[in-house]
Amino acid sequence: MSLILIGGWILSRPNLSFGSLFPHFFFTQLKYSGGEWDPNPLFVQAIVEELEIRTSIDARKERRVIALSDPDLFFCPFLYMAGRYEFEPLTDHERDILRRFLTYGGFLFAEDTVGAKGFGFDRAFRREMEQVLPNYELKRLPPDHSVYQSFYLIGSLGGRQKVNPYLEGITVDDWTPVIYSQNDLSGAWSRDRYGKWVHECVPGGELQRKAAFKTGINIIVYSLTSDYKKDVIHHPFIKRRQNL
Amino acid sequence: MSVNQITITPVFPWWLIILLLCLGLASALAQYRVIQDKVGKTRAFIISFLRFGAISLLVAFALNPSLVTKKEHKISPAIAILVDTSQSMAQSTSRDNVTRLDEAKALLTEGVSPLLRSLSEKYEVSIYGLADSLRPLETGDLARLEAGGNKGDLSEAVKVLSGNRSMAVVLSDGNLRWTESHGQQLPIITVPVGSPEAYRDILIKGIKAPALAFRDREGVIDATIRSYGYTDLTLPVLLKDSGKLLTAKNIRVQTTPGEVSTSLSFVPSEVGQKNLTISVPQQVGEDIVTNNQINLSIKVVRDKTRILMASGNPSMNYRFMRTALKSDPSIDLLSFVILRTPSDILNVRPHEQSLIPFPVETLFSKELTNFDLVIFDNFNYSFYLRPDYLESLRDFVKNGGGFAMIGGPNLFNEGRNGLSPIGDILPFRFAEKESYRRDSPIAVRLSHAGAKHPMMRLSDDFQEGDADHLRFWLAMPPLDGINLMEAKRSASVLVESADGIPWPILTVSEYGKGRILALATDYAWKWYMGMVAAGKGNQPYLRLVHRMVRWLTKDPSLDPVQITLPEIAASTGQEIDVRIQFHGEDPSKRSGSAVSFSVFNPEGVKTDSKLKPTPQPGEYLVSFLAEQAGVYRIKVETPISQVEESMVVAAPLENLDAAPDHDQLKKISASTGGKYLSQGDALLKEMEGYAQKVEKQFIEETRLPMWATPFVMAIILGLLSSEWYFRRRWGLI
Repeated sequence: MSLILIGGWILSRPNLSFGSLFPHFFFTQLKYSGGEWDPNPLFVQAIVEELEIRTSIDARKERRVIALSDPDLFFCPFLYMAGRYEFEPLTDHERDILRRFLTYGGFLFAEDTVGAKGFGFDRAFRREMEQVLPNYELKRLPPDHSVYQSFYLIGSLGGRQKVNPYLEGITVDDWTPVIYSQNDLSGAWSRDRYGKWVHECVPGGELQRKAAFKTGINIIVYSLTSDYKKDVIHHPFIKRRQNL
Repeated sequence: MSVNQITITPVFPWWLIILLLCLGLASALAQYRVIQDKVGKTRAFIISFLRFGAISLLVAFALNPSLVTKKEHKISPAIAILVDTSQSMAQSTSRDNVTRLDEAKALLTEGVSPLLRSLSEKYEVSIYGLADSLRPLETGDLARLEAGGNKGDLSEAVKVLSGNRSMAVVLSDGNLRWTESHGQQLPIITVPVGSPEAYRDILIKGIKAPALAFRDREGVIDATIRSYGYTDLTLPVLLKDSGKLLTAKNIRVQTTPGEVSTSLSFVPSEVGQKNLTISVPQQVGEDIVTNNQINLSIKVVRDKTRILMASGNPSMNYRFMRTALKSDPSIDLLSFVILRTPSDILNVRPHEQSLIPFPVETLFSKELTNFDLVIFDNFNYSFYLRPDYLESLRDFVKNGGGFAMIGGPNLFNEGRNGLSPIGDILPFRFAEKESYRRDSPIAVRLSHAGAKHPMMRLSDDFQEGDADHLRFWLAMPPLDGINLMEAKRSASVLVESADGIPWPILTVSEYGKGRILALATDYAWKWYMGMVAAGKGNQPYLRLVHRMVRWLTKDPSLDPVQITLPEIAASTGQEIDVRIQFHGEDPSKRSGSAVSFSVFNPEGVKTDSKLKPTPQPGEYLVSFLAEQAGVYRIKVETPISQVEESMVVAAPLENLDAAPDHDQLKKISASTGGKYLSQGDALLKEMEGYAQKVEKQFIEETRLPMWATPFVMAIILGLLSSEWYFRRRWGLI
């Protein structure tokens, strides 16, 4: 009875959308129309475990699924979007929301899990980004971008497949609110309930999977620290280590 | 001399007068023709001539003839004698303590035939003293006249005198303000006093200094040193800060008079008002020594606000706080994020990871004073910092540094903050064993103190007690986690939880000279994204962070009390007005609230001051008499703040160039058509000679209308009577 009352009290609050708790880090996956929005449903457990073991980040093994029209979107600053196929164009309203979200501090990590350049999800995603942030270009992130240095010093990217040796992104001033991969990182992270990897990583095998986790951790750390590693104090350390 | 002449001013047009005359002549001729047969030609002519004469005279009245008498008169010139009484006239002309003013007085009043008396006998003489203003004097005032005040403005004085004076005599050393004017009519005779050849002085003629200097950046002050009576001399120019030597430079004086410029550079290490002195050592035989030194006040500000931020882990709170801090170009941020703790496992070799050591020792034992603000963000300081580092942090705050503690689960988790060296400076204690709660969203509201605090004014439109201001904070998204704490009595809670127990969320306090802020949540980033979600943009959050920084670093622009010093340099003897402005609520109008205004003289003694309101709301003028030279401090204390400013009051002879400038006198007399007289000249004779030249004359004119005289009337009557007599005698009547 008391649970019911508490639930009723929460539901009756005027700002329902602000009512849920938001841990420091959690995945929020974007659900969209058309295509396949959830190609790797089992990716969260392993990457969050790895995040907790390796870093000081306070993370939850939790994945929230959200639509662009959901008011909670703005309290989920790490937005994950994946897909295999071409999806339906976003509405103007959705594009406006996504534009505001990305312009004012939100972060989107998107993955083409098939890795077919110019087709399917890749084509639809690029089309939408051109509409959402028309003044900015989705382009290859340079090797000295903070995302390659935010936790690990990444030389080669991992993933279930090796389509691109780089990440792409949209950079606004010093901040890259959109990072895009075609290497299916989440495919490499996916593990079933018995602890077995769902997909093999080709062609690099387990080393490539390990690299996928490192890349994933760097993207998450980047989303929480921005260009922290560009601060002058880090330069000599990073340079020395890269020259080793 | 007189001149008599007749003038005519016709009352009718000329043609009418000629016509009347012709008619008179015609009637006389007609009469002649009529009577010549009866009385003969001769008698007819006499009668007609008499008739014509009477008519002509009557017609001549229409010409309105007048007798004009002119008489020439001469006027003795009115002479204004101006005695320069500015402070340079107090200088000795020689070694026997006779001042230049004494010399001027002697010229006027002493000798066998005193100049003033001799001139007064022949001319209308008035005497004036000229310094800050033109002051009329009586002859008896001369003996009591003393030198003081700034250079007199002779141009202005002449404008006043030129209406009713014929010439001016100026007795001066030449230290006068003079602007040549083309409309200048009053000739000026200049009489020099003082001796340029005997004058010896070294002075700091001028300085060029910035009103603002930046901490840790080189500031440059240009000084110009002028010398009289010294050659081939090497002098050190010293720059001191409250008696402590900052820098010195040697200059070489080669000629007399000579002028040398030099630049003195310094690097201020502390923010605040700096009272600097530039001086040159006193030399043997100097006439004035007080002008060897000049005081100046320079405000030292931060070029950048340097912030050290330590974050316990990567988080949204860190990123949004970093975004806000980086968006202010005046902030120089050095941040460290604990990316992994000792319990985290690193699965790669060191060169494959980007982590750097947290240079705790360097930061907290050596570099701490280089920062203005330290921020701990969800940072377990007791784990990373030794007690002596925390003591350094406490001392840093005590000495004026800012400290902000942002909450989160990593903070206070041992519940020992009261025992650590920074326990004293924190504005709170833990309320319960549970130091961090993350169970249900917690709404926030602005407290009574928060509504008044300048830090919380996130929009210029918000005023104290404004319902919109309160609603604005109530509309902030709830927080998902807070630290449960209890504010100390000395602290002010600005934001508190709105549900159930009012837990302090944002608390501020002061410790020593520093300020402390505690934000008991790691979810303030939701205030950023919440405003964005509500379509209000990110400005409220950015402004909150910027204002937090400004308040913590004591940025004067955020101070509710502002002191504005006079723009014109003050000197001793002046009544000085200092403007005090209260932004927001005027605390002097709050009941039971004490606001104190104090003025301290250079010796640190509180001096009398008067406080009066201005027509502007919340604005006051504090007036005080600057009796001493040096640095005066003005202090305003309110229950919520204390503001202090200092200003330099210059000594009377500071910056005074008292060298006699006789060339200036020559220039003045030449440009006005006057004369430069040296004391060796026979002054009275020269002045009399000149006075004759400017002597004024006028002509008195008297006009007597002729027709109004009985003599003319008698002639007319005589003519008419004679005609009547002859007519009767010769049988015409």
